[in-house]
Amino acid sequence: MTEASPKRPNFLTRHGMLIFVVTLAILFPFIVGLIEGQSPATVIASEGGNSKFLMGLAVEVFILALFALSYDVLLGITGLLSFGHQMFFAVGAYGSGIMLKSLGWSLPLTLLGILVLAILQALLFGVVLPRVHGITFALVTLGIASMFWIVIQSPDVGDWTGGDVGLQGASSLVPAWINTNDHRFRFYLMALAVLVLFYLVFRRIVSSPTGAVMVANRENQDRALMLGYNTLWFKMFALVITSIAAAIAGMLWTMHQPIVTPTVAGLGWVVAALLMVLMGGIGTLTGAIIGAAMFRLLSFYLERWFGGGASLMLGVTYVLLVLFLPYGIVGTWRLKQARVSEGRKRLVALVTGKGG
Amino acid sequence: MTDPLLTVHNIETYIGQFHILEGVSFEVPEGEIVALLGRNGAGKTTTLKSILGLTAPRTGDVVFDGMNLRGMQPFDIAATGIGYVPENRAIFGALSVEENLRLAERSKGELERKSDLIFGLFPDLERLIGLPGTALSGGQQQMLAVARALVPDNRLLLIDEPSEGLAPVLIEQMMEAIKQLSSDTTVLLVEQNFIVASRLAARYVIIEEGASVASGDMADLVNDEETIRKYLGAA
Amino acid sequence: MTTTTVAAPTRGTSTSRWLRKNRGKLALAAFFAFVLFSGLFMMETNDWIITIIRGLAVGAITFLVASGLSLIFGLMDVLSLAHGELYMLGAYVGWTIYVRPDTFLDALTPIALVLSGMALLPLWRRIASMWTAGKWARIIAPILVGVAGLVIVVVLFPKFPMSMWNLDVYTEAPINNSVALDQGLQEVPPPADFDGVSPLVGIIGIWLGGALLGLGIAGGIERKAEVPASKPGVGAYTIAGGVALLALLIYVVNDPLTDWWYGLGTSPRFFFALVITVVLAFGLGSFIEVVFIRPLYDRLLYQLMMTLGLGFIIIELVRSVWGRPGFTMPKPAVFNGHGDACPGEGLGGMFSGCSTIKIFDSRVRMYNEVFIILVGILVLVTITLVIKRTRLGMIIRAGVQDSEMVEALGINVRRVFTITFGIGVALAALGGVIAAPAIGLNTGMGATVLLLALIAMAIGGLTSFPGAAVGAVIVGLLQQFMIKYGSIGIPVPWMDEPFKPSPVLVPASAILVMIVVLLVLPHGFFGREE
Repeated sequence: MTEASPKRPNFLTRHGMLIFVVTLAILFPFIVGLIEGQSPATVIASEGGNSKFLMGLAVEVFILALFALSYDVLLGITGLLSFGHQMFFAVGAYGSGIMLKSLGWSLPLTLLGILVLAILQALLFGVVLPRVHGITFALVTLGIASMFWIVIQSPDVGDWTGGDVGLQGASSLVPAWINTNDHRFRFYLMALAVLVLFYLVFRRIVSSPTGAVMVANRENQDRALMLGYNTLWFKMFALVITSIAAAIAGMLWTMHQPIVTPTVAGLGWVVAALLMVLMGGIGTLTGAIIGAAMFRLLSFYLERWFGGGASLMLGVTYVLLVLFLPYGIVGTWRLKQARVSEGRKRLVALVTGKGG
Repeated sequence: MTDPLLTVHNIETYIGQFHILEGVSFEVPEGEIVALLGRNGAGKTTTLKSILGLTAPRTGDVVFDGMNLRGMQPFDIAATGIGYVPENRAIFGALSVEENLRLAERSKGELERKSDLIFGLFPDLERLIGLPGTALSGGQQQMLAVARALVPDNRLLLIDEPSEGLAPVLIEQMMEAIKQLSSDTTVLLVEQNFIVASRLAARYVIIEEGASVASGDMADLVNDEETIRKYLGAA
Repeated sequence: MTTTTVAAPTRGTSTSRWLRKNRGKLALAAFFAFVLFSGLFMMETNDWIITIIRGLAVGAITFLVASGLSLIFGLMDVLSLAHGELYMLGAYVGWTIYVRPDTFLDALTPIALVLSGMALLPLWRRIASMWTAGKWARIIAPILVGVAGLVIVVVLFPKFPMSMWNLDVYTEAPINNSVALDQGLQEVPPPADFDGVSPLVGIIGIWLGGALLGLGIAGGIERKAEVPASKPGVGAYTIAGGVALLALLIYVVNDPLTDWWYGLGTSPRFFFALVITVVLAFGLGSFIEVVFIRPLYDRLLYQLMMTLGLGFIIIELVRSVWGRPGFTMPKPAVFNGHGDACPGEGLGGMFSGCSTIKIFDSRVRMYNEVFIILVGILVLVTITLVIKRTRLGMIIRAGVQDSEMVEALGINVRRVFTITFGIGVALAALGGVIAAPAIGLNTGMGATVLLLALIAMAIGGLTSFPGAAVGAVIVGLLQQFMIKYGSIGIPVPWMDEPFKPSPVLVPASAILVMIVVLLVLPHGFFGREE
């Protein structure tokens, strides 16, 4: 990637694109407000209107982007095909909901609790790591996550999770100063900040020696072992950091949504993440964010235009995408640039199946 | 002079993004044994696979018996009369020895017609005919791999490292077999063991870093210590 | 990297070595035997027998789907996530042929005409390869031609004569068609007519639509092809002509054929539905492989997304044609008899024509249990024979290990891939038709069976065909035992009340078993270790 240049240019030039995008994202509600004829003050106060609604949609994009980003690090960078990633998200979502609502914990305490849960569940996945790999790892993780999905829907824990209806009303328990209903603009900024923070952290890890091992791990387990790195620990490390990111995304989801349904624990949720990553370009990080935005907006507008037929259109989109944009948006663009030969080799290696 | 049976003209092959062959050209005259020589990873195996279309060359031509093979599918290329004995032997473990041979039939009863030839060369196989492929030793697998290429009427055999991993006695046996079958079949041989190659082949082609760099009569090469040292390491 | 078993020590006899090498498998087999036989002490004997029989029936349906999945995965390394929905589609198409053969015949004419137009693909490719133009023209023109063809097909299709159920009118909903057939009240629907176009325009138009669609696809293929297409053989013309002729023939004899078909009893009608669905599914499967899967070999993630996307499309298609609410499918008369002599006694009672027979004092339903299990066994035996005894089976067994070498022997492996995918889809569709009279039809049935089939496959070893059978039986038995225990409870020594697994734990138990089996034996019971 571009960071590999030895001169280390200053922060501004290195992250110029990022700063530009973030500035645009901060200005976005005001631009919408301007078109709608709202004053900036009303936008900041989040008193309603289209800008508040669009901010809500954008927050969903940020959360999904964080989730997809974590999945990209696990799959695209480390090469672990997990179909249990939705559990990482759902534990954050349901965990924070239960802590806020049933246990009556404060927000900081809930955050602490979620971090602990995130590490614990990553360790649970880590237990099966040395036993199985490839498609079998995918099936085992899918199995574990499906058990979680079934359990949260069972009537026995219905008082806590809301059964198959879902967990309701946790978002209203968030303190008013950051509540998504009272101060949508602040919540919007916070979600954006969390996403950017994790993006920078992941970017840093990927371009660090640790990240190099994670990539080596994906390319060739034997070689990484020969170099003296214990690949198991690096996979473990990848599991823990992605679990934390996904759980935080889940927590934000609970804080933002009036109701958390069991959908977020189902197979469809990890498939959505996979789709976002594939749309954007696997192993590119930025691609995950672009993919998340496309995915959310696409499904939003497809539902608006096609109503019940939306999932048909989504299915058609999958098929066309896979047939005509095999490397994703960012991936295809980089291939066209033909300058990042290293990244291209990795892409090709992954796409041609040497990643699993 | 008649046209050679096989002409490889300046082929370039990529595997994924990796440029493996960067210009390989040579000819195989009918009825001869030609050895492809070169260091590990020079591109000898890829050359064989490129002839068969398993790794299709991006540019260049392969002409077999007057027919240009460009763009043809591997199974069509094989059906023109080219047999392949791969490096790892690729014996099908779930199939019996007989089934391994039957699979190579291109018309019914071919195995029966060729059984004298095959079991004459490799008498052991007749004894093992009912065993599954997994039960064979390395030497037996190598015999079966060569025998499999003899079932249909192939005019050219591509044999990859027939002596690899075999005990000296078996190597002698294998060499004897290849010599015998070459009386009516042309052979393109990849061989790491220079002594084996020099005793079998009449002609040689040296491949170095994906390109053919030298070729000629084997008799000349045996005395050309400089070339041997330069391309093949210590002989 | 990780292997289940430690390298066998050199000491000991071959038996003890074998025992040590397979201790994981033995332990698991012992565990399942324990679960199975402990039931004898916890439930009454006839309950135990009927639970086993029901488990085998669920296992048979699961096996039909899992066997196709494992054949496809073994040979091509493709995990088809659309398989559950293809099973569902099989059930719906089978229902249509069984309950409304007139609708099936009506739809056959336009569909066959479109396919006939597309079947000339080799000719269209030849034509497309002769066309020289700039880069952009070669990208855009095929798309425009293809879209034009699609539009023609979509516009003309509803204008064809089509008598079918009506989702908006309750009395004409699919469920009432089923009830009418079951009670012998079904009447032959009046023949329909072309709607707004003359038959000649409709027939030629839709054929041209299919042809344009084919030309568009051909243009897309030729743009990427390295070698221009060769002259099409006689085969392409024969197929296209034959299909078109069939379409016209059915159009001409539509009304008398419908009358004849409606005059048949439910049993022959069911048999027809079964056979026709399987044949159609084979065709559909081959088509999917050629068009959607072939460009994606060796790219696991993309295959997963592709098959998942196809699954979504099939669900939506089924919802729009057959409606969202589920409905039933009547059982054929041979399995529906009752009267004084019923239920039939023992295994001999199978031929009494009763709907149930008595085995060990348990009432077993002829269709739901006996017939389904028999079909499962029949398929198991047939496919095993095909794999063991035929040249196709030999190629499949060899291809599972190394398809490149099979190709190097001069065998067209791609055609074998296409056939195998077709067989896999045909088996799933067969499962759907067989299951529908027993459990009814609904749009969620695909997802349920896919989960069970994946678990069965994983337990048995992903690439192993006998493994799929064993895994399916294990999953089926486990399900039925959990359901049974859910109602009678498991006596636990330290608890006052017997433990009753709640219904949500039924799927969870199968998943749990899969996790445990995979952790003990990462390659399943019959999988290869690599």
